[in-house]
Amino acid sequence: MAYIERNQRSGRRALLAIITGLLFLFLIYGFIRLQILERDKYTERSLNNSVRKIEKLPVRGLILDRDGDILVDNRPAFVIAVVPREITPEAIEFAARVSAVSVAEIKAKMKAEFGFHPIVIARDVTYEQVVAIEENSLDYPGLLVRVESKRYYPEEIFSPHIFGTIGEVTEAEIKENSFYQSGDLIGKNGLEKVYDTELRGEQGIQFKRVNASGKILGDFDSPLNTSGKHGSDLFLALDYDLQAFAESLFVDRLGSLVAIDPRDGSVLAMVTKPDYDPRLLAGQIRPEIWQSLLNDKTHPLYNRSIQNGYPPGSTYKIVAAIAALQEKLITPAWSATCPGYFQLGRRTIHCWNLKGHGTLDLQGAIKNSCNVYFFKLGLKIGLDTWAKYSQLFGFGSRTGIDLPNESKGLVPTREYYNRRYGVNGWTSGHLANLAIGQGELLTTPLQIAQFVTILANRGFYYSPHLTDHFYEYDPPQIIDYQTERMEVPGIDADVYEVVLEGMRQVMAGGTGRQGKVEGIEMAGKTGTAQNPHGKSHAWFMAFAPFVNPEIAIAVILENSGGGGANAAPLARKVLEKHFFGHEIIKPVFIKSGLDSLIDQAEPEAFPFPEIQPIQIVPNIGDN
Amino acid sequence: MASWTRLLKIDWLLLSLVTALLSFGLIAVYSATHTGEGDFSSHFSKQMSAALLGLLLMLLTARVPFRFLSGLSWIAYALSILLLILVDLFGVRGFGAERWLALGPIKIQPSEFAKISTVMAVAQYLSQRGSDIKKWKSVAIAGAILFVPFALVIKQPDLGTALVFIAVSIPMLIWAGASWFFMFVLLSPAITMLISFKLVLFVLWISLILLLTIFSTRRTWLVVAMLLLHIGVGSVTPMAWNKLHPYQQKRITTFLNPEQDPRGSGYQIIQSQVAIGSGGFWGKGFMNGTQSQLKFLPAQHTDFIFSVVAEEWGLFGVTLALILFFGLILYLLDLATDVRSSFSSFALIGLTSILIFHVFINIAMTIGFAPVTGLPLPFFSYGRSFLISIMLMMGLVMNFSANQFEL
Repeated sequence: MAYIERNQRSGRRALLAIITGLLFLFLIYGFIRLQILERDKYTERSLNNSVRKIEKLPVRGLILDRDGDILVDNRPAFVIAVVPREITPEAIEFAARVSAVSVAEIKAKMKAEFGFHPIVIARDVTYEQVVAIEENSLDYPGLLVRVESKRYYPEEIFSPHIFGTIGEVTEAEIKENSFYQSGDLIGKNGLEKVYDTELRGEQGIQFKRVNASGKILGDFDSPLNTSGKHGSDLFLALDYDLQAFAESLFVDRLGSLVAIDPRDGSVLAMVTKPDYDPRLLAGQIRPEIWQSLLNDKTHPLYNRSIQNGYPPGSTYKIVAAIAALQEKLITPAWSATCPGYFQLGRRTIHCWNLKGHGTLDLQGAIKNSCNVYFFKLGLKIGLDTWAKYSQLFGFGSRTGIDLPNESKGLVPTREYYNRRYGVNGWTSGHLANLAIGQGELLTTPLQIAQFVTILANRGFYYSPHLTDHFYEYDPPQIIDYQTERMEVPGIDADVYEVVLEGMRQVMAGGTGRQGKVEGIEMAGKTGTAQNPHGKSHAWFMAFAPFVNPEIAIAVILENSGGGGANAAPLARKVLEKHFFGHEIIKPVFIKSGLDSLIDQAEPEAFPFPEIQPIQIVPNIGDN
Repeated sequence: MASWTRLLKIDWLLLSLVTALLSFGLIAVYSATHTGEGDFSSHFSKQMSAALLGLLLMLLTARVPFRFLSGLSWIAYALSILLLILVDLFGVRGFGAERWLALGPIKIQPSEFAKISTVMAVAQYLSQRGSDIKKWKSVAIAGAILFVPFALVIKQPDLGTALVFIAVSIPMLIWAGASWFFMFVLLSPAITMLISFKLVLFVLWISLILLLTIFSTRRTWLVVAMLLLHIGVGSVTPMAWNKLHPYQQKRITTFLNPEQDPRGSGYQIIQSQVAIGSGGFWGKGFMNGTQSQLKFLPAQHTDFIFSVVAEEWGLFGVTLALILFFGLILYLLDLATDVRSSFSSFALIGLTSILIFHVFINIAMTIGFAPVTGLPLPFFSYGRSFLISIMLMMGLVMNFSANQFEL
């Protein structure tokens, strides 16, 4: 059909012309209706009674702990706003002087809007600034003082990494979520970000009749008026007494602690140090404070519990033990002799106990955290099986906790090593190192806590979460956090029993006995992660009681030496607080020979091969 | 006289209509963005320079050799698909600027360009020897040419612009001589999707389809296929809907019914209607619109520019503008009938459809007859990329007019 007959075209032209004509007639009809038939109605509205939209800011929901104690509250804050349509150049200059914002900045903000919609130029201003604006309101029209709310934290509340901050929405965030309007305050981090939609509530809209100079004449009876919605209150599973106590133990230390209730996955405490005072980032933020937080070498802005990958040290021997048992590579009775060193090719690697542990079976090796035993075990297991079991227990992937920017950590696989060192560039030495939780392996404290939760439950778990429930105001109702019971597949019950018995012995006279709570049977494992930049990191993980566990805990203290001597006692105090409501004061005791040995910061690991200096892994996306 | 006009390849009637519409639009932009400080607003001067550049582009496009132009269609089409994909990639990484692509200081909107090049490509295909609109294969190919840019634009997500691709296809298929039954088969699934939420309506609709199909064709397989297709679409749609998050559902319902969203579109429509209604027959006069001068009207220099026209120039100005638009459209339809080359003919129909769709949807939106989609009004709405693309379209039209005797 290369050429269309002309008369055919004429017919179709007439059809299209008629359709278009009808469309245009339809439009004309619409204009006649508005401009002729209903003209009076609209003229009246426009000349005398134009409609203005008044926005009523919603109250942001509170954050409370499991006892209903308020952790994050609201307080009024004054903001200075300009009305672009009314403001004069002199008033802009005056506003700039009072609010310490440059004239250019104010003009740039005004560019986004014409008209009567007030634009915030300065937030959380002082009382003196408010007075200055109000006193001169007649001379400088178009300047407004409005009241907004800002976050307020009761005196004893810290934990900034959990709560996060709120701040003015950026243009990129508006593009991403058209729900936001410029000038809105939204959650920027932590729970405030994850649950922004729930916490923020909904703006109320009221249409008011205003005259052409902007004076409000009365209500405009519009079906579009909405009363707004109070933001939902967020109740955490967190026990803030425990949290505050745990934070107090971390004074002057770097590290993290995560405590989880294994029965439902709720996070009881999550400590990250160093931190900062959340009050510094509420309301107006002083740029020099922000800069100093940003430049601080200890990275106080990062949530170490979920964003930092650390080598897990000997806590990870448990993974190797489970893999070997489940794959039937060994029986629990399989034993190895530790002369205090291990010969791998031409290298000699030392166990942390240079005198040697003698002959040990699996439980003995766990109890004494014998490196030589686990080197040998690692070589038996092989990289692929080791990586498979690591992934089964959630390492190398996010736990899915309700906080943003969680890191996946890193579980090295065959592909990873081939990519990194070349196909033949890596040796069984790497594998031996991984089996004792060293090398490229990176885990977050939360992942270790989740791991010990799984052990506590003998195989099942709930993904860790801070939220217990939301309280919605309209209509009043409680919305529970939905958890799903998950199972680590393919691990037999007797495997757990063997390994957990080893971990029980760790607490009863083994390397972790300083973490033992008097009178409560528990299981745990210490770890000392080699750090090429300084003293080793101290690890400890445990759960209690041994039967029907109700708390699982993971602690890391950066650069603090041995896990048994440093991390374990700290965890014990937190557990005592949990079980008895206070720490149990112990008499000072004279160190026995074995204790002094543990205090020597057992060099469980050794530099083979070079351990990568990954300490701070800020804000890992997909790695 | 006639000889050098032919040589310059200027279609004076077309040029007059376009210039009249452009001038009208510039006056409206001036009034809508006027800041009260006496000098030209930066919006106006930007729009003015774009208009002049556009006129130049139009005259230059008219002089491109005709053969070259039709040969260019596929290349232009491929290029615009590439640009749309680029925009998609950058949109993920960049800060939300998914509709724009920055080429140094110039920002271009590939979807505007894609509308034109897609029309050209479809025209090229339909005018090829061997394509026959009575055959399913040809329809499928033409449909695929339209679908690729449609899907990419809807992903941006720019539903308004994406619908242009659908709107363009209907007149082009009619022009190619597609049968009524065929158009029905093509368009009815959309109605099924909308209707599938109400069971009674859905059953009635399916019966209607069944009747129409049985009357139109004797082929049993076609009847069965139609029936299965519609029952499938009708039962999948509600399931897909329930899979969406509440906020996604809200976005869609707001699109279909802006009155539900008083924060945004509902407010715009109220203000637009007040502005238009208060304009009366003669209007309030240039720069005297209280609604627009007091900036009650949101987006008054872009999507709602016609409300400013209606307020300040009244029904008189509205009618004048609509007559100019209608005149231009009739002239384009005439050209499409007269040109010898069937490529030109199809392309003209496609370009005219783009124009009709934009004009109708935008103006209907200002009076509350259509949802707020963000489709701008040709020649009037502020926005350089859009204006330039409209002028490029007019340049193509002028080219077809100048070469109307070529085959």
